[in-house]
Amino acid sequence: MAHVVVDPITRIEGHLRVEIEVNEAGKVTDAISSGTAWRGLELVMKNRDPRDAWAYIQRICGVCTTAHALASVRAVEDALGISIPNNANYIRNIMAATLTVQDHIVHFYHLHALDWVSPVEALSADPAKTAELQTSLLNAYRLPLKVPNEIATEAYPHDFPAATVQYFAAIQAKVKAIVDSGQLGIFAAQWWDHPDYKLLPPEVHLLAVAHYLEMLDKQREIVTPHVVFGGKNPHPHYVVGGVPCAISLNDGNAPVNTARLAIVDRAINFARSLVNNYYLPDLIAVGNIYVRAGRVDGGGLSKTRVMAFGDYPLDGYKGTSNGNGYFNNLLIRSNGVVENFGQGVANASFYEITADDLKNDTVSEGVEHAWYEYPDHKDLLHPWEGITKPNYTGPKTGTPTMWETLNESGKYSWLKTPKWKGKLCEVGPLAHYIIIYTKSQKGLLPEPTWAEKMMLDQIQAVSTVLGVSAETWMPTMVGRTACRALDAQLAAEINRFFFDKLIANMKNGDTTTMNNEKWYPDTWPKECMGVGLYEAPRGGLSHWVVIKDEKIDNYQCLVPTTWNACPRDDKAGHGAYELAMMDTHVAIANKPLEIAKVVRSFDPCMACATHMYNTKGEEISIISTDPYRR
Amino acid sequence: MDKRESLWEAYLKRGFSRRSFLKGCVALTSLMGLSTDMLSKVVEAAETKPLPVVVWIHGHECTGCDESFIRSASPLASDIVLTNIALEYDHLLSAACGAPFEAHLDEVINKHNGQYILAVEGAVATKDSGVYCMSGGHTFTHLLSKAAKGAAAIIAYGSCAAYGGIQAASPNPTGSAGISNFVGGKPVVNVPGCPPIPEVMTGVVMHVALFGTVPPLDGDGRPKQFYGNRIHDTCYRRPFFDAGMFAETYDDAGSKAGWCLYKLGCRGPETYNSCGNLRWWQGMSYPIQSGAACIGCSNKNFWDEAPFSDRLPKYGKLGDADKIGVGLGVLTAAGVGAHAVASIIQRNRRDNLMEEEHKD
Repeated sequence: MAHVVVDPITRIEGHLRVEIEVNEAGKVTDAISSGTAWRGLELVMKNRDPRDAWAYIQRICGVCTTAHALASVRAVEDALGISIPNNANYIRNIMAATLTVQDHIVHFYHLHALDWVSPVEALSADPAKTAELQTSLLNAYRLPLKVPNEIATEAYPHDFPAATVQYFAAIQAKVKAIVDSGQLGIFAAQWWDHPDYKLLPPEVHLLAVAHYLEMLDKQREIVTPHVVFGGKNPHPHYVVGGVPCAISLNDGNAPVNTARLAIVDRAINFARSLVNNYYLPDLIAVGNIYVRAGRVDGGGLSKTRVMAFGDYPLDGYKGTSNGNGYFNNLLIRSNGVVENFGQGVANASFYEITADDLKNDTVSEGVEHAWYEYPDHKDLLHPWEGITKPNYTGPKTGTPTMWETLNESGKYSWLKTPKWKGKLCEVGPLAHYIIIYTKSQKGLLPEPTWAEKMMLDQIQAVSTVLGVSAETWMPTMVGRTACRALDAQLAAEINRFFFDKLIANMKNGDTTTMNNEKWYPDTWPKECMGVGLYEAPRGGLSHWVVIKDEKIDNYQCLVPTTWNACPRDDKAGHGAYELAMMDTHVAIANKPLEIAKVVRSFDPCMACATHMYNTKGEEISIISTDPYRR
Repeated sequence: MDKRESLWEAYLKRGFSRRSFLKGCVALTSLMGLSTDMLSKVVEAAETKPLPVVVWIHGHECTGCDESFIRSASPLASDIVLTNIALEYDHLLSAACGAPFEAHLDEVINKHNGQYILAVEGAVATKDSGVYCMSGGHTFTHLLSKAAKGAAAIIAYGSCAAYGGIQAASPNPTGSAGISNFVGGKPVVNVPGCPPIPEVMTGVVMHVALFGTVPPLDGDGRPKQFYGNRIHDTCYRRPFFDAGMFAETYDDAGSKAGWCLYKLGCRGPETYNSCGNLRWWQGMSYPIQSGAACIGCSNKNFWDEAPFSDRLPKYGKLGDADKIGVGLGVLTAAGVGAHAVASIIQRNRRDNLMEEEHKD
C-alpha cells in the first residue's frame, strides 16, 4: 500500500491537492481532494450595491470569466423582479455559449491533452502518415449536426486543419529542437515514460501537438463576442437589467451596429469550424482508442447521481426562484437529477428541479470535513442562510504551514460539501447529457427542442463510432471528456441560433437592450431574495443573494467545482473527484498520471470552488481612498 | 542545454528570412511604443540577447492574467511560450505536476540563479501565517520569498500581485496584499489591470527579452509605455465630454450615439491604462467603446471605490473632497471640478516629464 500525494495539480485553475492510498494491484482504496486556498471573496460583498455584484463576483475566476457575472446579474434580477429585454437575453446567451466553446477548447488542448499525448512520442511520427491520418479523421469523425434554419453567412469552411506533410514536418522539427536543447520549458518534468503514452500511435501524438499549438493561437478569436459586447476578455462588463452595449443602426459610434455585428458573426462561424474540424475529430480519435483498449474507468459518482440546472432562456423572462419564467423558457431542459444511470437507463430515475426546490431545503451545504464551522452544531444550511466561519485545523502530519499528509478523518479542504436532498452529485457536461438522454429514453421529452434533439443525435453518433452503448461509454473518464466536446459543438450552434434571433428581433424594429425600471434603489423592495442559475462550462452554477435596505445582506455561490471536488461526508459518502479517483486503476504508484488525468477530466476550477460568504460576517467599513493620489 | 537561442537564431531555425526578422522587429518597436529611431537597438538586442527563463507563480488569483497572456496576438501565444521565452514553471500551461514539478522549480531557480524573470500572478495572503493560500504543501509566502531571492527581475502581473486585488477588498478576510513588501526589497515591475491588456503583458516580457532590461518605469513601478496616460485622455469619446454630451442612463439616446459615460460612473478620468490607445484585441474595443463605464481596474483600491455605477459618495466616501478641491454636491459640478483638477495633475505630470527629459 502506498500513500501518494500530488500537489500542486497543474493545468487547472487555482490550487488543488490530492492524496491517494493505492495497493499493489493498482487499486485506489481511498482518495482525498483538497482545495488548498481560500480567498474569502464573498465576504467583501456585504453591504455593497447589488448592481456592482457582478464586477466583484466575476473575478472569482478568469478562466470561466463571465460565468459568475451572468449568474450574478440573473440572481439580482430574480430578487428585484426585473425582466430583461429580448435583445439583452440573446446577447448574454451568445456570451455564455461563446465562453463554453472557448473554455472547452482550451481545456481539451491546453489543460488536458498532455495527459493523453506527448511531444516525445510525436518525434517518432511519420509526417506523411500524419497528413494521411488527418484526412481520414476528417472523413470518419466529423459529426454533421447543426442548428436548423440558420442564416448562412459563410461561403465555405474557411478554417480547416492542414493535412500536408510539410506542415507536420515543420511542427515535428520544432518539437525536436526543443527536446534536443534539453530546455523543455512547459514540457519539463512530466512523466513522459508512462505506459499510457504508448496507447496512441506516434502520428496521433504529432497531430495533437500541432493542434495544441494552433489552438493556443486561435482560441483568442473565439471570444471576440465578449470584446464587442463587453469591451474585453477576460472579465467583460455586464449590467443589471440588460446589457451595457446599446444598439443603434444610425450611429457609427454605437457599441453595436452592423459593422460590430459582422465581427460577432465571423467569430461565431470561426468557432463552429474549430469545433467541427479540429476538436471533435481529435477527441473521437483519442477516445476511440482508449475505449477499444478497455479504458472505461473513472466514472465514479456519475454512475450514481448527476445534477444540472438547464439553460439558455429562449426569450426575455422574469423569475427564477420567484416565478417560473426561467424554468418554463429553457432551450435545454436538463434541470434535475438522475440517479443510478450506471445500472442502465431502465433502472435510472429522474427528479426534476423546480423554482420551489430553490426555496425549500432541497439544496444545502455541510462543513463536516471542510475548514469551517457552523454554529449550534448544525449539519446543513440553505444557501440564503449560509454561514462561513473559517476553522483551520492544519494537516494530519507536518505543520500548519508545511503539510505532509492531510487528515481524512478530520477537516482537510477549503471547499464545503454541497448536497441535493442530503446527497452528493456530479455536475458538468456529462451530467447535462446523461439527464437529457435519460429523460428522452423514459419518454419525459415528448417534444424535444432542436438543441435537445441535437444532443440525442450526438450521443447516438458517438455510440456508433465507439461500438458500445451510451450507458457504457458515458459514465467514464473518457465519457466526461467526450461530453465536453459535444457540449462545445452544441454551444457553437447555440451561438448561431441566438445571433439569428437577435437579428430577426432587430429587423422587427426592437433595439432595446436595457430595462431601467428598477435601476434606482428607491424602486426596490425593502428585503428580497433571488437565485441566478447558469449551466456553466463545468456544470450547474447557482448564485444566491439576499438584498436588504438597498444593499447586499448575504451572497452565496454554489459552484460546479464545489459540487465535484468537495470533501467527503460521513453520511453521504465521497464527492465526485474522490470517487472518480477511487474508480481509476493506477499502473505505477509513484507516477500517478491516471489520477491527474481523471481529475483533469472534470476541468477543475478551484478559485471558483472556495468562496463562501459569511452572513454573520464582520461589519464592513468601506475604506475611503483618494482616486487622484498616485 | 546552456545555450539559449536568441530571437534571430529562432527566426533562422524556423527558416524565416532576414527581411521577416526585421519586420518582426519593426512590429515590436511600435508595439512597445518606441520611435523608429530605436529600431537599430531593437534589431541588435533581438540578434544577440539569449532568451530569458521565466518562472510564473500563483498566489491568491483567478488565473485571468494567465488567460489574458495567452490572448496576445502580437506576439502570438505559441511564439512566446516556445520561442521567445523559456517558461519553466507555470501552473496553467506546464505539463508536469506534483513532486517532480516542485523539484524542477528548485532546479531551475538554482541553475539560473540571478538570471531568471519571476512573474507573479495573485496576491500574498498574509493573515494567520499565510495558511489561506497553500501550494505544494507550503504557503505561498514561502514560495514567493524562495523564488524572489534569485530573480533578475520580478513582474507583478495584474492588480492582485501589484496591489492586493479583489480579495483585498474590505474587510480583506485573508489579509491579502501586493507582493512588493514580500520580495526581499527587490524592485518590482507593476503591470496592474484586472486583467492587464494581453499585449501589455507580453510587451513587458518582450522588452526584457529584447533589451535585457526592464522597461522604463514610473514612480509606481509601472511601465511608462503602457500606463502613461489616463484612459480619459485617450478615449475616443473624450470630445463628447468636452462638449457636455453625456449618456444619462444605459440604452438612452446618448448611450446609443456613443456619448461620454461619465455620469454612469466611468472611472476613465482616474485610470491610467492603455485601454484608450492600444485597446483590446488589437484596437477592436474596450469597455467604454462597448457602452460600459470603466471601473478603473488598474487602480490601487479600485475595489473599494464603489458603487461603480455612480460618481456620488452614496455608500461611502469616494474621495477626499479637500484634495479634489471641490465640495461634492451637485453631480456635474463635482464631476467637472474633479476633472479639472485631474487635468491639472496631468499637465503637471507633463511638465515634470519634460523636465526629466531635459535633464537626460
